[in-house]
Amino acid sequence: MLRKMTLLAVSAVIAFGTLSFVVPQKSEDPGDRLVGIWEPSNGRSRIKIDRIGNKYYGRVVWLIEPNDENGNPRKDINNPDPDLRNAPLRGFRMCKDFVYQGNDEWSEGTLYDPNNGSTYNGIIKMKDENTLDMRGYIGVEAIGRTDVWKRLKMPSRKKK
Amino acid sequence: MLRHLLKLTAAAIVLTSTPALAQTDTSNSFDDDIDWSLYDDLGFADENAKRFANAKIEGLSPAKLISVGYDFQGAYAITAGDMDLNDGTTLAGGDAEQVNSTTGFRAGFNLPVVSQNNLVWQLGANYWNTSYNYAEAPAATDNPLHRTLSENGLRTMGVNTTIYKPLDDTQFLLFQGSADLSGTYGSSLMPAQYLKYSAALLWGKRPTEKKQWAVGLARTYRVGELNYIPVILYNSTSANNKWGTEALFPARVHVRRTINPRNMLFFGYELQGQSYRLYENLPGFDIRDEDLEIRRGEVRIRAVYEFSLKNFVWMSVQAGYRVNYRYDVDRLVDGGEIYRAFGILRDDPYAQVNGLGNPFYVNVSVNLVSP
Repeated sequence: MLRKMTLLAVSAVIAFGTLSFVVPQKSEDPGDRLVGIWEPSNGRSRIKIDRIGNKYYGRVVWLIEPNDENGNPRKDINNPDPDLRNAPLRGFRMCKDFVYQGNDEWSEGTLYDPNNGSTYNGIIKMKDENTLDMRGYIGVEAIGRTDVWKRLKMPSRKKK
Repeated sequence: MLRHLLKLTAAAIVLTSTPALAQTDTSNSFDDDIDWSLYDDLGFADENAKRFANAKIEGLSPAKLISVGYDFQGAYAITAGDMDLNDGTTLAGGDAEQVNSTTGFRAGFNLPVVSQNNLVWQLGANYWNTSYNYAEAPAATDNPLHRTLSENGLRTMGVNTTIYKPLDDTQFLLFQGSADLSGTYGSSLMPAQYLKYSAALLWGKRPTEKKQWAVGLARTYRVGELNYIPVILYNSTSANNKWGTEALFPARVHVRRTINPRNMLFFGYELQGQSYRLYENLPGFDIRDEDLEIRRGEVRIRAVYEFSLKNFVWMSVQAGYRVNYRYDVDRLVDGGEIYRAFGILRDDPYAQVNGLGNPFYVNVSVNLVSP
């Protein structure tokens, strides 16, 4: 009996471990359709969304005005945390912790607006493969604003 | 033994399965060596997608989703003129009556219904009341204007809508419409026949991220009586984001000083006004049968300080001078308003011409602002 149990347990470990390592790094997870480069409606920035672990994060990769009036790279001067006001805006992670919920919806994350330093609850709905409804809201979803983001074509690496 | 084996199995499962989840990272190489120029020249994945002019410009004060406020005007005098009645008689006006204060509760909300790149549609509602606190309560023999203001005050409730329709990446159309019930009605609503409709349609351009302008035509009661007037919208923000203009001329014009995105100062004016149906009857006088409306229009020259109390809860404190433009009583003709067009089309006399002093005022509101 004990031998059978041991065999069963070892088989389970091997089977589970094998399965978990067989899963490719870039899975066919439907949540990964969010991954890509997106442009908010105002066209002033471009956001690259990636998956880290089982959550999705969006980072500013392009700004229509990358420099301030003094010619220096724009910083997150409106951040409520004084320690972060010197952080460059380009590269700043403005979408955080989104989790795919199924039905083309990602939630539980936050959206940050560098124009006023505010952070909102966020919910993302994919209307089609190239269109996102990014809703920032305050407490309850009804009190908020939706911005429509459009997918941009992925860049190809420049040859040196 | 069996228990140890199961623990070992569980631990092994956890240890072997965790890396597959935790190490999934599609972010590639975000480090100092990243070539940001990769993201310079990108087109839409959907080749039919278009860019549209955004409804807001950079640096604009945040839109108020929910607003609850209180308005206080200091002491001033009201001089009621002679009131012409339907039966051809005239009620004598009399001396100026002193009002110690005029106070009012104000609430409003605006919620987006549709928020797309190519269409923004908002719906809202508002409620205002105005109480007139006379130094001495008007007697039954006093002019009905004083009596009705003292006993009933004025009240407005209404609904409104705003539609923003960008035509391309710079041009847009803006429509604002509202329906208001304004008068001296009490606990029961006035009939819908007394609704006053206001609207404005503008066409404009948003040439840069920091400037938008538009021109159009408005149907408005801002100076008390119905008028059709041209309107100009002009919003701008300076290069350093410190200064700006927020104007919908002639309704309101403000210069904005942005201390930071959570603290803003405004200097300017706003025209406020409406037609108020004298609906609630007075003891011994059925004023409702007279078909009268107060044409109230005033200019508020003011300084406004708006700041974030916490996150999205903002406070607005305004102080200034309330200048009376018109507070005359007009008679409906066959249930309809007299459209004078500033005296160009008609110059019918008002049923009662009144005078108001001009007090200082303060207005405080707490607002939930839009993300």
